[in-house]
Amino acid sequence: MHTLPRGQHLWRFELSLADDRPVWASGLVKSFGKFEAVKGVSLSVPKGAIYGVLGPNGAGKTTTLRMLLGIIDPDKGERCILGESSPRNVSQRVGYLPEERGLYPSMKAREAIAFMGALRGLDWAEGRRRADAALEAAGLGYAAHGKIRKLSKGMAQLVQLLGSLIHKPDLIVLDEPFSGLDPVNQELLERLILAERDRGATILFSTHVMGHAQRICDRISIIAGGKVRFEGTVDEARTMLPMKAQYVPCSGDDKVGGLLPADAERIGNAWRFTVPEGGAERLVTDLIRAGHGIAGLSIERPGLHDAFVRIVSAVKAEEAEAVA
Amino acid sequence: MKHLLSNALIIARRDFMAVVATPTFLLFLLAPFLMLGVSVASGIGGAYLAKGQHDSREMVVIASAADAKRLKVEEDVLRSRLYGREGGPPSVRFVLPGPDPEAQQAHLLSDKAMEATAVMGGSLQRPVIAHLPGEADDGRYLALLAEESMRSAELGRPSGTQFSTPHIKVVQKTVPTRSRQQSTGSGTVVIMFMLTIMLASQAVGTLAEEKSNKVIEILAASVPLEAVFFGKLMGLFGIALVFVAFWGGLAALGIGILPASAGLGSFAPVIGTPIFIALAGCYFAMAFMLLGAIFLGVGAQASTMREIQMLSLPITLFQLIMFGVSMAAAGNPGSSVARFAEVFPFSSPFAMAARGATNAALWPHILALAWQALWVGITIALGAHFFRYGVLKSGVGPFKALGLTLTRR
Repeated sequence: MHTLPRGQHLWRFELSLADDRPVWASGLVKSFGKFEAVKGVSLSVPKGAIYGVLGPNGAGKTTTLRMLLGIIDPDKGERCILGESSPRNVSQRVGYLPEERGLYPSMKAREAIAFMGALRGLDWAEGRRRADAALEAAGLGYAAHGKIRKLSKGMAQLVQLLGSLIHKPDLIVLDEPFSGLDPVNQELLERLILAERDRGATILFSTHVMGHAQRICDRISIIAGGKVRFEGTVDEARTMLPMKAQYVPCSGDDKVGGLLPADAERIGNAWRFTVPEGGAERLVTDLIRAGHGIAGLSIERPGLHDAFVRIVSAVKAEEAEAVA
Repeated sequence: MKHLLSNALIIARRDFMAVVATPTFLLFLLAPFLMLGVSVASGIGGAYLAKGQHDSREMVVIASAADAKRLKVEEDVLRSRLYGREGGPPSVRFVLPGPDPEAQQAHLLSDKAMEATAVMGGSLQRPVIAHLPGEADDGRYLALLAEESMRSAELGRPSGTQFSTPHIKVVQKTVPTRSRQQSTGSGTVVIMFMLTIMLASQAVGTLAEEKSNKVIEILAASVPLEAVFFGKLMGLFGIALVFVAFWGGLAALGIGILPASAGLGSFAPVIGTPIFIALAGCYFAMAFMLLGAIFLGVGAQASTMREIQMLSLPITLFQLIMFGVSMAAAGNPGSSVARFAEVFPFSSPFAMAARGATNAALWPHILALAWQALWVGITIALGAHFFRYGVLKSGVGPFKALGLTLTRR
């Protein structure tokens, strides 16, 4: 039987992993003193996806991203970024917007962007040219020669974001990119992220605002208490919870409650309840036969927000129980 | 290595431009003018003070009118022969003898109205001289005056007669002496130390900016920390070079217009002036990098300006110790202290520069520069390691890195 040398096996494995999984991590653990911030996080981000790392404050999102980028090393576990186990080796193909924004206040906006590009291997002159174009496209052309200290917080944040994209990275890591932006700039950022995805980049971003994740993420991980509690698509997260129905009978008879599921609660003249596992058809038939009629009926799927709250609440209850 | 260097250059460029292209840099560049102004002002003030003190002091001779006349002529000649037109001991005042010469002598020395340093009484054959503590030279001068006066009288010649007319000229020594070479070495150590302490010590707070504005996160994600540290040092070194070039140029202009007799002939390195200057430049670069790396590494651990200020003191003291050891090496070439100072990495640049003034061998300098460059790398790597561990909370601790573990039973 013909076998490849061990090293060659690994090389091929890493190459194939890089092809379809630009970010892969298994069992990442990181402690700061006695506090275990990340307790075995595993991630696998498909190529060309917008991948959201969701979690409450202090869940370990930032620490996970910093480990993936090689800013800090994990105490345990493995990571593979763009086919390299050492993120430093591929830093020129990665763009990063940290949670705590950092720019030199005395630098001009275009210089700051060109500087960030230069750090990622982009020529200064080309960086300046691209910076001018990017600032113009973002509606900040007038601020290109203004110093960072004279820009508003939101504008400076956009400048930094443009700086992290200027070298056209294959992987873009954004830590809480929407925080501190007004709704107009949040929409601009969403458009930028989608455009980068369309260019072929893979985007990994963290947030605790579910609206953005629900709108733009292809896949998500929900981290709570230092562990991944859910991994999948937004729809998969939402289907974890049963659908909810709101029913308004034609009659005002209280007896209708007896036909509805046990969790039904009356809100004015409407009833709200969880749709039974088999579906709502049989229940609707029963209600009509009993003469209650249907003045209104809406069935809605729970949002990502509800799924998130449920998962995180369960983790918090688990932790409280463990402490008790 | 290539990537590390190119990354370091990007950071160096940013730092260099951020400092040099500001009005504050002009202030920094011209700051020595302020120092020079203070030195000149205090020098002039000190000179006036010393002159005032000197003018009010005097020596007193108790003598009859005839003796005083002879002594005055003799003193004029003696003073001009010994000291020329200026300088010498305080002027001499002549007073007539009182009824009690001993009491008069004591009274003159303790009189508040005058500042007598020495008083001569008695006869010229047997003069009695009293002087204040520490003014023995004045006493001896009065004794010599009496002796010369008596000699003239014994020989029957008029007071102040000159038998020999010397022609005195100044000759510069062309062959460097050992002491001149040592002086060259010591002077070089002093200049290097002054420049290093003034310029490299700025590295202590240089990472504070990145820590306060959170740029460090961007840098740490983009390039190796070693490149950040090295780049910061190179940026500062670039600033130092501008400073040295400016002041070096001014100094060269100053030397160009100074007369040959200004004492610059004492600059006599045995290895040859051009090679010595080139070596001193290389050693200054190494001293800057080595001490700058310590300042940078230690300062990077600090989180507030107060901590930075507190950390600066021990490093400055360390630097002063290196200066002391290097000065001892410059003063005792070939001694065991010199050997130690030449080998110990942080005193090596200073001591080796001093060695260039007294020893012609070139190969030890090549070895020393390589050795110092290695230590620049080690110091930067250690600084980056401690920063990663202490500030970014990543990696292993210093003890574990050295293979030392503490086990608890």
